[in-house]
Amino acid sequence: MDECKIIIMGFGSVGQGVANAISMKKDLIKDKTGVAVKVVAAADSSSSAISQEGLDEELLVQTKKESGKLSEYPEFGSDKNGEDVLDAVEYDCLIEATPTNIVDAEPAFSLTLKAFEQGKDVVTSNKGHLALKFKEVVNAAEEAGVEFRYEASVGGAMPIINLAKETISSCDIKSVKGILNGTTNYILSRMTAEGSDYEVILKESQELGIAETDPTQDVEGIDAACKTVILANSLLGIDATYSDVKVTGISKINSQAIELAKKDDYLIKLIAEVSKDNLQVSPRLVKRGSSYDVSGTLNMATIKTDLADEVSVIGLGAGSLETASAMLTDLISILKNKN
Amino acid sequence: MRLNLVLELMDVPGQLVKVLEPIGSLGANLVTVIHKRDYKTENGKVPVQLTLEGELEDLKNVVKRFEEMGFTITQMDDVILKEKISTIFFGHIIDNDLRDTMDRINDLDGVSIVGCEIKLDGEDRSTALLNIEADIGLKQFIFDKIEEIAEEKDILVINEV
Repeated sequence: MDECKIIIMGFGSVGQGVANAISMKKDLIKDKTGVAVKVVAAADSSSSAISQEGLDEELLVQTKKESGKLSEYPEFGSDKNGEDVLDAVEYDCLIEATPTNIVDAEPAFSLTLKAFEQGKDVVTSNKGHLALKFKEVVNAAEEAGVEFRYEASVGGAMPIINLAKETISSCDIKSVKGILNGTTNYILSRMTAEGSDYEVILKESQELGIAETDPTQDVEGIDAACKTVILANSLLGIDATYSDVKVTGISKINSQAIELAKKDDYLIKLIAEVSKDNLQVSPRLVKRGSSYDVSGTLNMATIKTDLADEVSVIGLGAGSLETASAMLTDLISILKNKN
Repeated sequence: MRLNLVLELMDVPGQLVKVLEPIGSLGANLVTVIHKRDYKTENGKVPVQLTLEGELEDLKNVVKRFEEMGFTITQMDDVILKEKISTIFFGHIIDNDLRDTMDRINDLDGVSIVGCEIKLDGEDRSTALLNIEADIGLKQFIFDKIEEIAEEKDILVINEV
């Protein structure tokens, strides 16, 4: 294989990040794998740009930013969207970056299955289909004999799935405990530093763009619970789905609880725990100065193993280029396996 | 007389020297010290095993000094001591019979509440920090029990990791 044709489905923050990252790292990927990466289609929720000859990544981002629609892409803009895009052009790998949908997992689920049926590899940042139908999706990839990678779905730029599966592959993973949601970590960190109340910091976080207008997914622990399911399935082989996770969010945490915790040298963090006995997302007390003591929007995870004892990682859990970095790493792994 | 102790030290340079210092200065003699930095406890601390010799009064003073210095003594003369556990409750703690909550925790074997600090918000919900001492190894059992009680009383509980 000397050329890899890519479709980017979903062109929000993550999709644009992938386009930018490909533009920046094309030469590096060619050096590392001997494969030239070419974007042959990119699609947002209602339109797309498609060209078998390849699209300009920077122009894609510029078009989306300026007009809001990829159909405005010069010459190759199209009204095709969704699964039709996968039929419209010859490709090798689908980069799936549509928004997470925790109700019915669409459109990610259908897009992914269709790509598998077409015999294509898929890299995703999406949590919906993995949290709701992990086994089904992974089995479909196996049956189709294609690669399916999802590092970006947990912890953004922070390596965890590939780290646990490949880098420390000699070890059995006993448990994973960590902070898997940057927004809540930011809110709790600020409450701890300033002694302010939850509502005040949430409002400021929304103004800063760190928390969403509807912060439910983050503050009620839903996002972290999705990641808990993905880690449970992929690293511990637990056949779990979203409803198996016990979830408590942070919206009830007040400044008094944080103050009381401080007295005993503790911090309050939203911790995801993944083990055979326990799938849980809840506010927990962590010792100041321990590996769980990371602040701001950072994510962290401590992987407990049989041979290596504990291995901990810290990194940025969200962000356009940050999340794209994980997807590009997955792409490079696929390309390396091919050659 | 002799006294066997197991202490837990932070894994940072200089801790062992700090432990040894008060022994001589308070009139006790060090018989044995076993310190293997490679072995760590669940909470990442390094256990050090000491055998001391001296008058009862002097040995008591050494133990007292260790405690003042913030070292955790986990065993004394092969008797396993207590570990400290903290937990936070939030909700209608008082209305939901705080006395009963505390009794039920205290009734657990080898478990006792040694501290309770409550903050009242002026409204009906309040926040409480509970300090519990328990025999070593009961932590998860206690957390499970506490969560059971909390669920029953619709109290938010924040346990240690």
